Amino acid sequence: MVILEFFLVLIGITALGLLYGGIARKWSARIQRRYGPPFYQNFLDVFKLLGKKNTKSHGVMFALGPVIAFTGITLSLFFLPLGNSRPLLSFEGDIFVLFYLLVIAPLGMALGAGEAANPNATIGIARGLTLMLGYELIFFLSALAVMMKFNTASLWKIVELQGTFPDWNLFPFFLSAFAGLIALQGMMGEKPFDLTVAPHEIASGPMVEYNGKYLGLLQLYHAIAIVVETGLFVNLFLGGGSILTFILKTFFVFMLAVTVDNIMPRFRIGQAVKFYWKYPLIISLLGILVVFIWR
Amino acid sequence: MGLFRWSQSRSLWMMHFCTGCGAVEMPPTMTSRYDMERFGIIPMATPRQADILLITGYLTVKTLKRVVRSYEQMADPKYVIGFGSCTINGGMYWDSYNTIKQLDLYIPVDLYIAGCMPRPDSIIDAFVKLREMIAKGEANGWIRYRENLEWYRANQAKVFNVEKWSAIEP
Amino acid sequence: MNGEMEILEKVKRAFGDRIETAPKRERQAEIRVPLELLHPLIGYLKAQGFGHLATISCVDWIEEGEFELVYHLWSYERRFHLLVKTRIDRENPTVETIIPIFRIAETYERELHEMFGIDFPGNPNLTPFLLEDWDGPPPMRRDFDTRKYVEEKYGMVDLTKELWERQEPILEGENGED
Repeated sequence: MVILEFFLVLIGITALGLLYGGIARKWSARIQRRYGPPFYQNFLDVFKLLGKKNTKSHGVMFALGPVIAFTGITLSLFFLPLGNSRPLLSFEGDIFVLFYLLVIAPLGMALGAGEAANPNATIGIARGLTLMLGYELIFFLSALAVMMKFNTASLWKIVELQGTFPDWNLFPFFLSAFAGLIALQGMMGEKPFDLTVAPHEIASGPMVEYNGKYLGLLQLYHAIAIVVETGLFVNLFLGGGSILTFILKTFFVFMLAVTVDNIMPRFRIGQAVKFYWKYPLIISLLGILVVFIWR
Repeated sequence: MGLFRWSQSRSLWMMHFCTGCGAVEMPPTMTSRYDMERFGIIPMATPRQADILLITGYLTVKTLKRVVRSYEQMADPKYVIGFGSCTINGGMYWDSYNTIKQLDLYIPVDLYIAGCMPRPDSIIDAFVKLREMIAKGEANGWIRYRENLEWYRANQAKVFNVEKWSAIEP
Repeated sequence: MNGEMEILEKVKRAFGDRIETAPKRERQAEIRVPLELLHPLIGYLKAQGFGHLATISCVDWIEEGEFELVYHLWSYERRFHLLVKTRIDRENPTVETIIPIFRIAETYERELHEMFGIDFPGNPNLTPFLLEDWDGPPPMRRDFDTRKYVEEKYGMVDLTKELWERQEPILEGENGED
């Protein structure tokens, strides 16, 4: 029975992520004054990729890389409270575990893509892991403010203690929330921080050698990652509620990121890390200061 | 199996091998004016991820070698579209000493777009046609290539002026 | 005009009667020079401010059995284009390289070596350049039969003659409507 629940969450969230991706493509097409693909286009892409034949494997780790990425993100999904309902896995301090698990996915991809020995992939990995130094710090600092406020490191407790609309953490911690939003942009790899996969520059970076079913798995990973990353932000700052409001909130946060993505150029890696360690860092530190004043 | 084929026909990732002048017709096809993404066709950066290899224009012998290598890196099922007269019979380069005349001798072409140059309308038209062909299972150039590999290899070796040629060896 | 053409007189004074100079149009003139004087002349012109070797081109005078090499020199100070022309034997085309004077000439000479089969002793890099796996004679020579080569190598048959001689219109009947 419990296993069924796990599967249900996994399939539901994957479908949700693919749907978000499709709507985002339509939305960016409309911003660029195009008609855009149908909203179910991402489903078709994944089905097609899963039906394709793999031409060449570059070794065991190459094949394991997408699996590690997918597993990492799936595991972190089970720690995520979907609305007010208790997540499938939850204990005191799970927020640290969640942060840790979020690193596994890019790391798995880095290991797999590194095996392919394609120079574009290597550049992509180097950029991705360097960028991580930027956004991880900021996101953790903004989460730290919330953790200090409620004196707990359990994501579910934070959601519960936070309550619904007027008591959202967003309002007292708007500085932290703003810094977190900037970090989220980098975490999801949207512009101006899409330098990890920069299709026009390094030919989609770490994914350059992946094809067929591996690429399909990576697409699924990406779909879940959208929900997990926006969901983390929603749980920290945008309060609880039913699962429907959770979906609405994540959708809104994601669309915000996509809109910013559409109107921004791309940073170089040096600029991106410098940017993160300058303004968002100051903002998030000020956010922690706010907690001290608040208490 | 039907679901896979249907989604294959609806989601075509394209690598445009911009060798000739035809490449200039691609930007309007991709961007707001003609917007080929509404058919699920998006440009891809690497042959590994692509389904369609779009050869835009003439190919010199030197480029053909790279094209064959790119084609063999693509995952099955894969499709080739010859774009412009140059891929059909050499076009305006019909008596040039250094460009190939019939693309079909070296890699299997599923569909040609005639014209010098074809307008974006006809490119879109070709994609729609290709989509129908895939749904019906008629676009089987990749099977043809596999079955007649020796014939294609002999043709390639003839232009590359070697006894035996393999795309994998550097 | 006089200020621009002054260089021609200067060259004439320096090299005497063995070279011919002729203005071609505004800001452009040509100098014909025998092969022995080519290198001194180009060195002299570089010292006179012609610091930019735009390209080296070649003309195949097959009737006279000669190649004509044209060195295009440009001076930014004078804003003046000089064509230095020299004739070499077609059977045994050999010109000493001008890399010591203009480093960029390496690429131009490499291309001429490939397209016309001219040898440039002293150029270290006369490897295949644009034509990969080339098996025929140098293709830019006028005695190179392009169509024959194309028919043999690419299996292309020239249909133009047949189509030209056909009396009845090609497009009529089945496709004539549209």
